Parts: sequence; structure tokens; C-alpha cells
Amino acid sequence: MITALGLLILALMGTPLFIVIATGALLGFYFSDIDLQAIPIEYYRITEMPVLVAIPLFAFTGYLLSESGAPHRLVRLTNAFLGWIPGGLAIVSLIACSIFTAFTGASGVTIVALGALLYPALMEAGYREKFSLGLVTTSGCLGLLFAPALPLILFAVIAQQMGVGRPVSVDDMFLAGILPGLLMIFLLSLWSIKNRPPQSTRPFSAREAWCALKEAVWEVPLPVVVLGGIYGGFFAVSEAAAITAFYVLVVELLVYRDISWRQLPRIMQQSMVLVGGILVILGASLASTNYLIDAQVPTRLFETIHALISDKLTFLLLLNLFLLILGTMLDIFSSIVLIVPLLLPMAVGYEIDPVHFGIIFLANLQLGYLTPPVGIDLFIASYRFKRPIVELFRATLPWFLLLAVSVILITYIPALSLWIPGRL
Amino acid sequence: MDLPALAKRIHHWAVLVEDGILALLLTCMILLAFVQIALRNLAQTSLDWGDPLLRVMVLWVALAGAIAATREGNHIHMDILSRFLPERFHRPMRRLTDLFSAFICALIAWFAARMVIVEQGDGNIAFSGIPTWILELILPVGFCVMALRFLANALFLPQKELAK
Repeated sequence: MITALGLLILALMGTPLFIVIATGALLGFYFSDIDLQAIPIEYYRITEMPVLVAIPLFAFTGYLLSESGAPHRLVRLTNAFLGWIPGGLAIVSLIACSIFTAFTGASGVTIVALGALLYPALMEAGYREKFSLGLVTTSGCLGLLFAPALPLILFAVIAQQMGVGRPVSVDDMFLAGILPGLLMIFLLSLWSIKNRPPQSTRPFSAREAWCALKEAVWEVPLPVVVLGGIYGGFFAVSEAAAITAFYVLVVELLVYRDISWRQLPRIMQQSMVLVGGILVILGASLASTNYLIDAQVPTRLFETIHALISDKLTFLLLLNLFLLILGTMLDIFSSIVLIVPLLLPMAVGYEIDPVHFGIIFLANLQLGYLTPPVGIDLFIASYRFKRPIVELFRATLPWFLLLAVSVILITYIPALSLWIPGRL
Repeated sequence: MDLPALAKRIHHWAVLVEDGILALLLTCMILLAFVQIALRNLAQTSLDWGDPLLRVMVLWVALAGAIAATREGNHIHMDILSRFLPERFHRPMRRLTDLFSAFICALIAWFAARMVIVEQGDGNIAFSGIPTWILELILPVGFCVMALRFLANALFLPQKELAK
């Protein structure tokens, strides 16, 4: 108890989370008379998980795309094809941001790369300032549920480690996220249509559509190759990541020449800072989880909670609340590696499908991107658009509420997550 | 606080080496991963050391990235208290957490070194004649460098960080 309190204080003081987790594991092993070599041994287990190869490759691809002219081409293309719909530009923004976030792994890159393009465009098209700010800030977390977003991969990795309930594959998660992700875009699109400026529609121009398509011709196949390849069963996730990374590197460096060779080391370094940050936490939590399971903490936790709450619906409601609060304090990657090992056995105990649980977990934590005190999207947008956090929080509030509604729907309608994986 | 000239020079070269290794590792990873798929699909064969090497490279690239993250004070952290505390507490608090992190990294590096020595004694082979202990070397080295980086941060807080 004192240990836990000490760790919490360390974490709140801003100690890197992998240090906090490793400290917990070190203490746990020490008091159970286990050789502390267990910690580096757990770290080395990272090399036993083939799926992890996908993480650095996708992260690099995402950073590379965000530094290139791809965001510009993506916005032009979607606008050319969807701009004629009422509220079109706003819907275009939502879709473009989702695609982009899926590739960049929801690290806030979307706001910097796409928000900067979309915000002036929205203002020019006559959307209200508050609406536009809310949209670009929210866009940073949209698309988290679409392949090949890193949180989906990471959840599957952790669930596989736990081995409770039925096995969860990355492919399952990629399929399960489709409908919930679309639901979010759909609800936000309705809101966009309602808030459209009086004259927002522009006629469809076949010429512009053709030009935009021609300009982006090398990047258009990308989602098709990745998603088609994975969903169609042509290649494994790590293979898709390898093909994408190589292809994007060649296209941006040699075909479009948006990125020079000299920029490459910096982009590599930035993307690997993210990957390193995630994987040192993963390694530390492999150790701490191992300790927790040895000490039977998940089982005892389940028994305690089960004695208090017997029905599934109450449990789901409390789960939503808990994850909402968790999301205000912890980022999505740390939450996955730290909290999933505790909650997944519990969810399985309440007969919730592990894949469904994963989607609930991620969708719920997505809200955390928009809540103070540590909603990362609020901070990035505040930095990028030079606005106070409070103003951005107010602007995102309606968007936040709509996302909350979709989280509730996702939680209580399992079919949204499970229908597609069940069909294939 | 201005860094002494020697420390500055060490820092400069360390950054080059750290980032150089990182870029090299990632480049090799991308190429190797691609070659594996090309071979598998076009020639129905593959390098039998390719897949295990790729998995080890994930760990190496992760630690290289973590070292860069340490250098830039960019690790995933919660940072809640500092939002509520006045400015003058920030610096001592950063020092404290950096010192503590240096201690924990040094501890992990120590036990990782012992793990490597035990592994060397066992003489296990990972794949294609490469002994496992060589692949594990990144753990003691990586955590040792991180410990030094945290220590350096605690002693001379990076100017960039203070400006934030």
C-alpha cells in the first residue's frame, strides 16, 4: 500500500512511466525473493513477439507521411470528391484525419500535419471559429480504431500475453474497429452538416477531381494495399508494415521528392523516440504484469469486484466511468500495457468478449485525448493554434459529447465490434 | 548554467553516435523486412536468420529510441503536479525525478549485465551461430547510457527543457 502510494507520487511528479513501472516490478521481485535479473529477461521477451516488428515500421511511415506533401494531397483529393456534400469540407476533414491518424498512431501528429491545412480552409469556407477549432482538435484522435493504428496492435499483443478468454489476433482487432470507427465519423458528420455555413457547397468538378487524383496517384493505393492486404489475408501485419514503410520511403524520397535525404535521420529519430517510449514501457510492464499474476492480483481483484457487482451491465457502466477518468490522466499506450492486464481477466469473467473489450477500452480512452488536465490533443492544438486550453476545451465539448455517445453505443451493442470479425 | 566545454563536446559526439546507430538500425530493418517479403513471395524462399534478426532489431531500435527520448526529456510521463505547482518548484522536482530515474536505470543495467554474463557462460546460440549474449548486450549498454543521460539531465538541465 505504501509502495503503491510512493509510486503514484513519483508518477505524478513527472517521473517517466517506464521508471515508475520498473520500480514497482523491482520492489515486487525483491520482496518475493526473485532474482532481479527477471527484469532484463522480461525486456528481452520483446524479441519473442513477431507482431512488434510492425510498430517501428508503421510509426516511421506515419512520421514520413506527415513530413511530406501527403497531407496536402489527401485534403485536396477528399475535397475534390466529397466537397459538394452539404457540410462537405468538415466531413472531408473528419475522413482525411481518420485515415491519417490510423497511419500515424494517434500521437497528435494529425493536428500538426493536417489541422494546420484544414483550419484556415474551414474558416475560409465560412465555418464558425469555435466549430473549426473543435473539429481540428478532435481530429487528432479520430481514426484510432482503424487499421493499422498502433493502439490496436498493442492491445492484441498484450491480450495474447495474458492468454485469458479466446485468443485475440491483430487481424481481429483491425476488423472489429471498422464499424465503431465509422459510427464515430458518422455522428460527427451529422454534427458538421448541422453546423454548416449557409453557402458551403461547391459544385463537383470532374476536372479538379481528375487533377487531384493524378497528383496523389502514388499514395492512393496505400490504404488499399495495407487494408486489402491485411483484411484479404494476403500478408501478415508485420509484412504489411514492411511493404508500406519501403513503398512510402521510395515514393516520398524518389518520386515526389518531398523529403530530402538529409531530413531522413531526423524523421527516423523522431519516430523512434515514440517507439522507444512505448516499448520501454511495454518491457517494464511485462515484468510488472508477471509479478502481478504471480501474486494473483487480477484474480483477487475480480473476486472482490464480483462480490460487489454481479451483473454485466453495471460492470460495463463502471468500466466506462473508470476508463474515462483513467484517460484524463494516462496516455493510451501506457494505459494499454498497464491496465489491460488487470481489466481483461475481469471482463472475461463478466463474459465480455476480449475483442469487444479491446474496442471499448480504446474507444473510451480516445475520449481522454480531449479531457483536461492531460488531454494531449488540447495541448498540441493549443500550441499549434496559439489558443488557451480552456477555449479549446469549450470548443471541443460538443465533439467530446458526441464521441461519448458513440462510446456508449459501442459498449452496449457488442455486434458493432463483433459482427465483422465474426463474418470473416 | 553553461556546460563545460568538454561536456559539450562529449554531448555533441554522443548525439551523433546515438542517432547514427538509430538511423542505421532502422534503415537495415526496413530493407531486411522488405527483402524477406520479396523473397518469400517471388522466390518462395527466405533468409532463415532474417525473421529472428528483425525481432532482435526491434529491441535494439527501441532502446536507441529510448536513449534519444531520455536525452530530450521526451519519455511518456504524467506531469500533473507541475501544472498545479508554482514555477520555482519545477526545477528541483525535475532534478529529483531525473536522479531517481538514473538510479533505476543503473540498477537495471547492472542486472542486465549479470544476465549477459550468465548467458555467456551458458553458451546458448540464438540463430545462425550468433550467441544469444551478444544480442542481449543492448540491454546493459542501453540502460547504462540512459542512466548517464538522466544523470546529465539532473546535473545540467537541458536549456530546451527549461524554456518550456
